[in-house]
Amino acid sequence: MKYLPLVWRNLGRNPLRSVLTAAAIALAIALVCILRTMPAGLDAILASAAANTRISTHNEAGIVYSMPYSYLAKVRAVPGVVAAISWNWFGGALDLTKGVEFPNFAVDPDGFAEVYADWGLEPKVLEDFRKYRDAALVARQTLEKHRWKVGDVITLQSTVFPVTLSFRIVGANPNQGGALYFQREYLEQALAGAGVQFDTTGMIWSRVDDPERVAPVMRQIDEMFRNSEAITSTETEKSFIGNFFGGLKQLVTIIQIVAALVTLCIVFIAANTASMSIRERVGEIAILKAIGFRRQTIFSTLLAEAGLLALVAGIIGAVAAFGMLKALQLYATGAGPQLGPLTAFAVSNAILVQAIFIAFFIGILSGWVPALGASRRSVAQTLREVF
Amino acid sequence: MALPLSYSWRSLLARGSRTAFTVAVIALVVIATTLFWSLIGSLKRTLVSSGSPHNLIVMRKGATNDGSSQLSLDAYQTIRFFEGIAKDPAGNPLVSPEIVVQPFFHTTSGTRENVLVRGIEAPALLVHDEVTIGEGRMIHPSSGEAVVGRIVAQRYKGASLGSDLRFGNANWKVVGILDANGSSFESEVWVDARELASNAKRPFPYSGFRVRVADGADMDALARRIGDDPRWALEATREIDYYKQLSSTANTLYIIVAGLAVLAGIGAMFGATNSMYAAVQARTSEIGTLRALGFSRGAILGAFLAESVMTAAFAFVIGAAISWLLAIAISAAMGGIGFASQTFTTNVVVLRVAPQDLLMPLGLAILIGVFGGLAPAAAAARLRPVEALRKA
Repeated sequence: MKYLPLVWRNLGRNPLRSVLTAAAIALAIALVCILRTMPAGLDAILASAAANTRISTHNEAGIVYSMPYSYLAKVRAVPGVVAAISWNWFGGALDLTKGVEFPNFAVDPDGFAEVYADWGLEPKVLEDFRKYRDAALVARQTLEKHRWKVGDVITLQSTVFPVTLSFRIVGANPNQGGALYFQREYLEQALAGAGVQFDTTGMIWSRVDDPERVAPVMRQIDEMFRNSEAITSTETEKSFIGNFFGGLKQLVTIIQIVAALVTLCIVFIAANTASMSIRERVGEIAILKAIGFRRQTIFSTLLAEAGLLALVAGIIGAVAAFGMLKALQLYATGAGPQLGPLTAFAVSNAILVQAIFIAFFIGILSGWVPALGASRRSVAQTLREVF
Repeated sequence: MALPLSYSWRSLLARGSRTAFTVAVIALVVIATTLFWSLIGSLKRTLVSSGSPHNLIVMRKGATNDGSSQLSLDAYQTIRFFEGIAKDPAGNPLVSPEIVVQPFFHTTSGTRENVLVRGIEAPALLVHDEVTIGEGRMIHPSSGEAVVGRIVAQRYKGASLGSDLRFGNANWKVVGILDANGSSFESEVWVDARELASNAKRPFPYSGFRVRVADGADMDALARRIGDDPRWALEATREIDYYKQLSSTANTLYIIVAGLAVLAGIGAMFGATNSMYAAVQARTSEIGTLRALGFSRGAILGAFLAESVMTAAFAFVIGAAISWLLAIAISAAMGGIGFASQTFTTNVVVLRVAPQDLLMPLGLAILIGVFGGLAPAAAAARLRPVEALRKA
């Protein structure tokens, strides 16, 4: 520790170089943070889905193959099912030219609170959601993005059904996909007015009372519809989400490859600086050794120099990444829900902290070879070369 | 008199290891941006090449894609006799009524994806003239047969030629492979429209029509006439514009790749500046000598700038070559890259580095070289000959 002033002075001897190196590493670290945040959004959703006992029933052939609405009552009657709700994709767009900007679903308000018990919605919000036919529960991130607040009225034009509906926002929900939920009955009546009979459901979401019973309940539901007009497939929420975004796997791999390349970039930037600054000081290091400084001391101060520079750069980079992610959250629109959680850009503290550690280790690593070389050089030979 | 380029070149070689570091940094930035840029390029090329300049797509007003549109048989029967539509040799209008459904398919690696299945009738291949049967034959109506895109045949279980493919509660016999110059039709499955509609229990027979406009006919006039018809709320769009709009999925990727290029580019520039400063410092006496010999400040500036740009250009060549190989390796290892399309189906894109994908990284590398070298080169040019020589 007593050598810290020496390390600090050495960093300050060529301030331009230190600043340039730190800036280059900081930018690369910020980039690594952002790239790693993208797939982490998907992992976070999967992790949050793993703990609950929510299950999804849908047509075996696919989600667009609907099921009769009468299936809901049958699922509700299965022992072990605490509550169940129907679920229909409304495909509502604020502006048709922009397409569907966030998912929106028609659901049954009865049982909604039980199926999404883990969301911890306030009783007042749930009551309003039941009470008003045009009530909508909007995901927090969607509220923030569009600067809406509870009480606002918004209008969505469906891209699936021939109707346009206005909704009164009664509360927020913590859905990470940005979804809006509204009453099925509201849609049913609007469609009846347009002369369309609406008696199907895309999915049924249920909650099972006991984690132990999830598997048998799922089997029982599928068994029940085995020989009926729509064969069903029931799976856990985790499996459903994993499958839904399964197609993004390769994209995630590419993002990871690019993140690795940028990390490698930091290694070269840091190593270049370390070798430059040490090469310049060969004579000085020889003198230090000649007057009695030990090899280990010289080695560790040189290493500390590289590590400190990278650490400071890493912290700056992580802070910058935090700011950029917040900005991306608000402004990265235009993708719609297709890239899903990849573009949610939710800040993860773990990734930021990891990035700072990565920077530090890269700094140490890149200083290792030149520092070792410098501390091992023979004093007599170096002095002879220099003077 | 300017310094010969070989001076800059030989100087680079003289400080080999430091040059190598700078080259590595810039090359890595080139690889990272090229990979992302080519990915977007490949996605755009796949989608945009799906549209034919002669075709209109007709959907229900307000539908953003043919996966969420529904149309009646009456609308089809009326529109196909409109003026300006191309005809086959037998005199039938080239209007292809289609129904789009998105059933589950299982990939050979075990994941589940929605695939775009297009129910078609006889005129389909004539209207989509860029789609051809590469192997096998076209389906016969009402026979439970399917033709699959080349990518589908490789990516999904049971989708190869001659197999029984299960989707949408039925088994379909794969009788042919569709080739479509790498466009998104290669990620589709085509079956008989009526069979698909009854299988999916669709209330309306069709999702949309594709209309081939006769040579010389006014495309926009026909589109307006279809859109203005009061009987059905329809909208006709040029197929090219439709696919362009579908490719807007890439917009967020654009933001990311632009950010990546800017951040990584600035980072690499700092790295390049660093090594150039060191180069100037190490050669102070040499610069003094050159100045004493009569080379102007401009010549010194030019020589150091050339050195920096050469480094960047060399790094670009290496980076571009590695990206090209990496893209081939990635495609070989993963097959294609799945993108979720607005139709909620998987659009498989084969990653390929096209020459135009390299323009942006090339520009980036040159910028890194120029701006990274500018300050050190100016510092070198500012050196006063007498002092520089004295220092040595």
